[in-house]
Amino acid sequence: MTLAPEGPAVALGPLVGRSVRRKDGDLVLTGQGAYLDDVEFPGGTLHAALLRSPHPAARILRLNTTTALARPGVRVVIGGAEAAKLTEPLPHFYNPAMVGGRSIDFHPLAVDTVHYVGEPVAAVVAESLHQAQAALSDIEVEYEPQPYVLDSDDALAPQAPLVFDGWENNAVARLPFTEGDATTKLATAPYTLTGEISIQRYQTTPMETRGYVAAWSPDRRLTMHASTQNPHPMRSHLAQVLGISEHDVRVIAPRLGGGFGHKFHGYPEEALVALLARQAGAPVKWLESREESLLVGAREYVHRFEVGFDAAGKILALKDRILANVGALGPSGGWAQAFVAGLTLPGPYKINDYDVEVVPVATHKAPWNGARGYGKESAALLLERVMDLVAQRLELDPAEVRRRNLIPTAEMPYWTATKHIDGGDYHAVLEEVLQAADYPGRRAFQTAARARGRLLGVGIGFELAPEGADLAGSLVRGHDTATVRLDRSGGAIVLTGVTSPGTGNETGIAQMVAAELGIGVDDVRVMQGDTDMCPYGYGNFSSRSLTVGGAAAVLAARDLRGTLVQAGASLLKARAADCGLADGHLVDAATGARLPLRDVVNAVMTLGGAGLGIDERQLESTRTYAPENIHLVPDELGRMSVYPSYAYSAHVATVEVDRETGVVSLLSYAGVHDCGTVVNPMFVRGQFLGAIAMGIGGALWEESVYGADGRLRSDSLKRYLVPRAPDLPWIDTRTRETPSPFTLLGVKGGGESGVAGSLSAVANAVNDALLPLGVQVHRMPLSAPRLLSAISGAGVRG
Amino acid sequence: MIRTALRYHAPDDLGEATELLHTHEERAAVLGGGTMLVPSLTRGDRDLDHVIDLRRIGLGEVSSTAGGMRIGASVSYARLLAAQPFTGATRLLQLAAEGITGGPQIRCQGTICGSVAYANPSSDVPAVLVALEAVIHLRGPGHSRAVPAEAFFLDAFTVDLRRGELLTGVTVGARSARVGYYKLKLAEGSWPIATASAVVPDAGDSLIGATVTLGAVSARPLRLDLAPLLDGHGRLPAAADVDDWVSAQLGEPWDDELAPGDYRRMVAGVVLRRALQRAQGK
Repeated sequence: MTLAPEGPAVALGPLVGRSVRRKDGDLVLTGQGAYLDDVEFPGGTLHAALLRSPHPAARILRLNTTTALARPGVRVVIGGAEAAKLTEPLPHFYNPAMVGGRSIDFHPLAVDTVHYVGEPVAAVVAESLHQAQAALSDIEVEYEPQPYVLDSDDALAPQAPLVFDGWENNAVARLPFTEGDATTKLATAPYTLTGEISIQRYQTTPMETRGYVAAWSPDRRLTMHASTQNPHPMRSHLAQVLGISEHDVRVIAPRLGGGFGHKFHGYPEEALVALLARQAGAPVKWLESREESLLVGAREYVHRFEVGFDAAGKILALKDRILANVGALGPSGGWAQAFVAGLTLPGPYKINDYDVEVVPVATHKAPWNGARGYGKESAALLLERVMDLVAQRLELDPAEVRRRNLIPTAEMPYWTATKHIDGGDYHAVLEEVLQAADYPGRRAFQTAARARGRLLGVGIGFELAPEGADLAGSLVRGHDTATVRLDRSGGAIVLTGVTSPGTGNETGIAQMVAAELGIGVDDVRVMQGDTDMCPYGYGNFSSRSLTVGGAAAVLAARDLRGTLVQAGASLLKARAADCGLADGHLVDAATGARLPLRDVVNAVMTLGGAGLGIDERQLESTRTYAPENIHLVPDELGRMSVYPSYAYSAHVATVEVDRETGVVSLLSYAGVHDCGTVVNPMFVRGQFLGAIAMGIGGALWEESVYGADGRLRSDSLKRYLVPRAPDLPWIDTRTRETPSPFTLLGVKGGGESGVAGSLSAVANAVNDALLPLGVQVHRMPLSAPRLLSAISGAGVRG
Repeated sequence: MIRTALRYHAPDDLGEATELLHTHEERAAVLGGGTMLVPSLTRGDRDLDHVIDLRRIGLGEVSSTAGGMRIGASVSYARLLAAQPFTGATRLLQLAAEGITGGPQIRCQGTICGSVAYANPSSDVPAVLVALEAVIHLRGPGHSRAVPAEAFFLDAFTVDLRRGELLTGVTVGARSARVGYYKLKLAEGSWPIATASAVVPDAGDSLIGATVTLGAVSARPLRLDLAPLLDGHGRLPAAADVDDWVSAQLGEPWDDELAPGDYRRMVAGVVLRRALQRAQGK
């Protein structure tokens, strides 16, 4: 990895594919980058605090705000019933009813029933945060506790307490993903295996938590600063909830300190803060505490699977029943990860007969929101454990079993019932990671270590990462829009509908636009996240920012390039076909004549329609781009595909398990990634490394632990263990580039790849380490207590 | 944000500090480095009217005493580590302080005596001080007293502090011994799950006279004299026998969201053996 030096104002050479420094990197590193908490209004900003339910399930019998309201500095105290009168129900980010599931109305505050510990029950606005929080203890709430259920199996039992009144049971939906005839194939398969994998609830812990600052102008227009990944959809939903026109809402998403899905819009606090500001008649700020942030769940699944295979290790059929404990549902888009967990199967493997059913189950835990991987990590963990279990059963090398099952490149693009996989060379990436990791050497090292009694394991993980989702019927769409404007200084402003969660995609987009216009990255300013400035866009999710947002900007830039070339050719009296843009100039390749770009821009503005050979023209273009390969209408075989691009990666981890303590050490790690054309290798590597670290954290440490009382116990970063640098080995990463045939420039999503592969590789490595003891651990995370319990159960203590 | 209307005091001398503590009783707390107190106030876990900051009293020094060292109440981990040299058994303090995670903020802010007063079972310092047979120096309104560390830690988060009393420092003897420290954590960010502070005689393979103090495995530090375990040559029995013996000494193990009690019971003997190995340079 080489970092590009700080380039001249006009960069030379091809810009796409270069590790250009992040445009705001210096600002962020020197503490000058502003975030949501830096938003203050001149006349003073009020502060909100939320009273949250102490019960997992209870009726609210009485709520009295009088005493709290009388406290010094307190301006507003509001309970759920009153808030509900002032607002419409919260729209769902992705309504389960769209896929035949059960739905329910949610409100900014619990109205008469609480469904989880931490559900907002009342809100206070005061002149200081101190006063607001202090007033919470003076809100009197009388609860009548109700029976509650925390586990997904328990929640589906016939007599289970219902999370939502009026539901027949706690199943949010039943989602089938099937192809072929798995039942028959399993019955006739030479070998079968069954098993269960349970995955813990865990989340993404962005460095910056959520927050909102709402302010109403005297003409009743709402400006909402929001630490969100989706400013435009938030605007749509805020208008709906508050009963105002959408043009009376402006959402501004400032710089984000991490998104990962945690900042998908749809939280009750969004409309609530806007309502509080309206009631207070002054700007109101609310920031999520770390404790509140850790309430948000994700990724808690149980897989119960059956797999059939032949003597060569070829998988013949797969059945998987997946329960997803999605907590108390909520209006945000978290639960739909369960849908993607099913849809992703059978991943990168050619399995013609499969029968998958996903049941998202409501329980009295806090609701989910998005978490990087978005269900794909759950699918990968299942598939990758299956590959290793098959290898173990047949005494084959796990790499060989994968070779025999990966979809061959010759069959690309490849249809399953729910995916049209765009392309790639899975076998090549597998071989490359095996080579990068020195896989034969690792195995030899393992053999020697085992002979000395050490528990050393090598694990492979392969992941398929469907990206760029287009969920028609919701505001989660696959297309997006960008505007490019040229100015008389020869530079460009790009306004995009996609936003950056802090990844640096604005720099990537600037590279793409600069490349089209023959100008430097520093000559391009990218504006994101302001709904008054930017075209309507769906924001940041599903690793779509460059694939669609960047592509839309490229199309707009190409429009402008056409105008410039035509005008420049006229000025130089050259043939347009000979003219191009480079180094900030229009260049006539036939004669070598050059004109500074700013002169051409000026000519278009001052001479368009007056003899320049072009009519009156704005040097501004807005274009919408939708990738090909989205199939929203079922074909004759009933197949659909909501994801246009499919990144993939392969991983090898080597671990050692301390047989006396169960503590896992990572000894080495290699990952190879293919997300199509790479715009900025440094950013792609940064995303890949971060995702690998997140997957390792999920494999070994991160867990949202609930007590039997329904309270989250892991409510601080001393109790919820996120990997830190000393926990991780040197991570060797490599990139292959197989351009997507279906996207402009061949780009695929690159923001999520790595979570699923690293989770799987580490889970396999740990289980491989335990193999000599004859035990396996399929309950995640593979924490030291859990592993030591398994080791001691095998009778091999100390 | 701290929810209560909090009065901040920075008294100039101990008399004033103890007077304030005595007057306000449970509505007041001593602010050392604040690494535990301030977050607990911010989260609303504690509800106080007064904090009494020790920074102006002049308790921030590490000093040599006859046969050991005295660590003032405001000495941070970083300050302690800067106070070279550590001799004899006091090297245990160095080993523990070097392993405090949380970055420079915690090492420069957190204090030894703050950790003593907080008495979190899952922390390094209490067991290390018990291992060193440290003495805790207390000052109350009109009186002073000194309590052996082992007697000071009464229970989880509970110490022998009476009304109006605060810690002024701890003294540790630098007796000649080899030491070994072993800390088991689940990950870098984890609280200690089990610690062992071994103090063994200066030379030879015999462990006669050796002690190991276990931390984080039970509500209070557990100081074990290995004598009942040793053969005539002062050697340990087989690992499994050591572990079984340690487990039997343990009583009720400490249990929290990071590790259940039965896990701590299983690893208590392991950390003990490893600390001894380190002490003996094995």
